[in-house]
Amino acid sequence: MTERIWDKFLTERDKQVFAKGGWAANAGGGKKPALLIIDVNYAFCGEQSKPILEAVEEWRTSCGEEAWEALPHIRTLIDKCHEKGIPVIYTTGTIRDDGWDKGSWAWKSSRSDEDTSDGAPPARTSNRDGNDIMDEIAPSPQDIVIRKLKPSAFYATPLVSFLNDLGADSLIVTGTTTSGCVRASVLDAFSNNYRTVIVEEGCFDRSQASHAINLCDMHAKYADVVQMDEAMEYIEGIDETYNLPTG
Amino acid sequence: MASKAEFENHCWADIMKPEDLETYAPYARETGIGDNPALLVIDLYNLVYKGGRKYPHELEKDFPNSCGIYADDAIAPTQQLIAGCRAAGVPIFYITTQFNPHRVASTRRTNIKMVAEDCEIHDAFAPHPEDTVFREERPSAFFGTPLIAHLNERRIDSLIVCGESTSGCVRASVLEAHMYGKHVSVVEECCFDRCEITHKVNLFDMHHKYADVMHLDEVLSSVSLMKAA
Repeated sequence: MTERIWDKFLTERDKQVFAKGGWAANAGGGKKPALLIIDVNYAFCGEQSKPILEAVEEWRTSCGEEAWEALPHIRTLIDKCHEKGIPVIYTTGTIRDDGWDKGSWAWKSSRSDEDTSDGAPPARTSNRDGNDIMDEIAPSPQDIVIRKLKPSAFYATPLVSFLNDLGADSLIVTGTTTSGCVRASVLDAFSNNYRTVIVEEGCFDRSQASHAINLCDMHAKYADVVQMDEAMEYIEGIDETYNLPTG
Repeated sequence: MASKAEFENHCWADIMKPEDLETYAPYARETGIGDNPALLVIDLYNLVYKGGRKYPHELEKDFPNSCGIYADDAIAPTQQLIAGCRAAGVPIFYITTQFNPHRVASTRRTNIKMVAEDCEIHDAFAPHPEDTVFREERPSAFFGTPLIAHLNERRIDSLIVCGESTSGCVRASVLEAHMYGKHVSVVEECCFDRCEITHKVNLFDMHHKYADVMHLDEVLSSVSLMKAA
């Protein structure tokens, strides 16, 4: 692969350190992956494509136009996985109506009160639940949706148990934010010894620098960051039978 | 593997009331081991064998935490189980207690006086270099250890479990394995506790809810068939 999305953020010394230290080797994907789509919901995408500084007036966590650019790629991956009988697992958030369970999420954002329906800012005119998964990639009956409270898809969820039930041994990861829930989930996948392929075009973040450098870190240490064509070729090569939900 | 008709043919048969067995009748099923199992050997450390073939209440003063005669009875069957699994190429994981004078204990008893040697695995079951040994401070072999990561990496779909205590670390580990979606087979003759009725009732509970409690001969023949396949 030629230039990577993170190259323009790295110093010459950084590049030399990675090369000399032997980082970013090709780990290779697993034999029986599941597709994991992390938090691609209205709170992170907004209800229409808008420049991010405008989008965050309505949904404070929106990633703006980058989210909407990722949606068709995620759709393509989902369709391909359905065609191949590969499990598709979504995560999204959950919150009590009174917001009590947001816990540590309230510590670092001065706008976390907006996450409950009562706290919607004036710019938000719909009553859409931010945790609804985007219509463009809506789950099908055989897909699996996991609700979570914290960044990692593994933390206090049945994800490991579901992967065992499915017979899956690895993950293909997309979603948002690259620096938040994607990274937290990829790290836990690594710690659990699941091989992970991250699809670059299917991930997005609010911060351009964070998106690039987090992909760089994950590619160096924990996973293979690939582009759509390579991901589609990998999925095409999977010929396995899973214990899928009947739907 | 054991047939559905043999489902209640276990050590609890003499203590369960007929009406309770009737309540649990719908759980009856064929039992067996998984496709790609590992053996999990739980807490067979020196402390539980101290004082030899006496009942635990006779040892309580000098060797608190010894399982005495119950531990001793399980030595030979457990050696057979380990040898059978080893011969069939089944990966073997040991879990033992992490000695630490300030440890977070796995039970709430108050009169334990442990030394480091107490927490070493008994010579009768000495791990081989190719085995994996983890140390724990809490009842479940999964809690605070990388056990699930090892099982995932080696595509191990199931566990064969032996060790002690049936009501403590065995049950905690079996429950967590079940929650992770792993099939579990518990070997009756290779598990023990300080209290016989606790041992039996915990095996009964696990057998009906979380695991297949199997006899040693069934497990050994299943494991040897696996090798042939």
